Amino acid sequence: MRRYSRVLGCFVTAACLALPAWGEQKFETLSVAKLPAPNAHRIYLSDVSISHIVDNRLHVIDGDSFKYLGVFATGYAGQSTLSRDRKELYVTTSYYTRLSRGERTDVVEIHDPLTLEYRSEIVIPPRRAQALPYEGIVRTSSDGRWLFVQNATPATSVSVVDLKARRFAAEIPNPGCWIIIPSETAANRFSTLCGDGTLQTMVLNEDGSLKLRTKSARFFDPDEDPVYVQTANIGDRHYLVSFRGKVHVADLSEETAKLEAPWSLLGKGDAKPGWRPGGYQLFAIHRSSGRMFIAMHKHGAEGTHKNPADEIWVIDLTGRKRVGRLPGHGAVALAVSQAPAPRLFALDGVKMGIASFDAGAKPRFLKRMEQAAESATQLELH
Amino acid sequence: MKWFDDFFERSSRRAAHKVSRRSALARIGRLIVAGAFVLPVLPFDRVAKASQAVPQGGGKSKKGPDESQCEYWRYCALDGFLCSCCGGSPSTCPPGTEMSKVAWIGTCRNPQDGKDYLISYNDCCGKNSCGRCLCNFNLGDRPAYRMGLHNDINWCMANTSNMFHCTTAVVVGLAEAQS
Repeated sequence: MRRYSRVLGCFVTAACLALPAWGEQKFETLSVAKLPAPNAHRIYLSDVSISHIVDNRLHVIDGDSFKYLGVFATGYAGQSTLSRDRKELYVTTSYYTRLSRGERTDVVEIHDPLTLEYRSEIVIPPRRAQALPYEGIVRTSSDGRWLFVQNATPATSVSVVDLKARRFAAEIPNPGCWIIIPSETAANRFSTLCGDGTLQTMVLNEDGSLKLRTKSARFFDPDEDPVYVQTANIGDRHYLVSFRGKVHVADLSEETAKLEAPWSLLGKGDAKPGWRPGGYQLFAIHRSSGRMFIAMHKHGAEGTHKNPADEIWVIDLTGRKRVGRLPGHGAVALAVSQAPAPRLFALDGVKMGIASFDAGAKPRFLKRMEQAAESATQLELH
Repeated sequence: MKWFDDFFERSSRRAAHKVSRRSALARIGRLIVAGAFVLPVLPFDRVAKASQAVPQGGGKSKKGPDESQCEYWRYCALDGFLCSCCGGSPSTCPPGTEMSKVAWIGTCRNPQDGKDYLISYNDCCGKNSCGRCLCNFNLGDRPAYRMGLHNDINWCMANTSNMFHCTTAVVVGLAEAQS
């Protein structure tokens, strides 16, 4: 009787015309998709999801096809970084017992980037900076043993987490300073940028506690021409850029940071249109070619330092000159793969898309992905 | 709030001033007007808007932006959801939320009297993101090594309940001009 009714229904509705002829759909069994093996173009996109900030996302995207692969849940103002060997993903975040109220617990979560599965967690002091993602807020030491987590209450300190022993190890105050720049030479050292225009370097004991701290000479003016906290390194030479486009290089190979003489990104004719760097993760460096890719905007002035890019400039760090200009795609964050044929990815802060570029000898735009995130600010490549 | 910034949504404008101040906040300076920027995401139509120069405005002018618009003069360094759109105002938190114990400071010029005022950007805390009227201006914003001038961090961080809801812009004084 029921079948009869269905057939009858089909005769009286146009919808039946859309039904497949007589065949039936093959029956299925539900399973979990397996991720393709990661490559150097896999993108981890931090999304602070500001309209529901207690529930952040880390999107995983194939940078070749721009196919969406999956997601990590990253809690309240979560931050992430991959392990040095790319076998683990660390997420620092905060949870409350009643979602938006109740007792706060801060954790370092360990996830598997090969499966996107959760593995375990390490509880840390509930003081981690609940901030917009900046790369230097959570960093690993050069040997992968330590995870350094910037705290703010708003007094600032750094939690040192022992990833080998899977436990919180120590807390090191860095008052008046912010961000973590690990030494690539010594695993027990990191430096931090300070409001007096210096870099402080913290040297750790074997148990993660502070052994000694040193201070560089003053090298920037935090009022007139502050440096961004974004850094990129070639070996233990760490590049910093100022609001007005000066490049500073800090050598962190010794216990006290040494600064090289700064130089300007701007060439003749760049000052008049007001070109300035801008964004959050505003530059990236391809190490073997010695090239910097940096988000630049016109009409720069006080207050424009986070503006999206009008152009992405390609800078030869050895020759200290611009060797290319790419369309800006509204970039506020950049990441470049380190392979011999590098790929550059730009997060469009206006449309929340991602643009990809061939970042080789003759850089050029390749393609875009639209609507990649709600409110992302940071990219990391596998 | 702040921090979170940015991007998302709206914005534009800027204004700045040319004033030098003795206070630490300072140097916020130069007046510029103009504008630009910002980000956001969802309503894509803002992108076009963002490239236009928008003078800072507001006050009691009938023509200027009102308190529920990003371009209102007090919001020159605000990064977050306007409490004016969330049940509060530039100087009141929405009902049922709590005021942040700490705040960041900006200096904005009131177009009505041409004077520069210190603005305390207190977040309102204890409920999830308001989600309305996200704005982002960065006049005088500095990286967090100058924490009191930084708007990319949760200023509900010192409250018992750290949840960020929206941001106010309280006029707390006159910026002292350098003589």
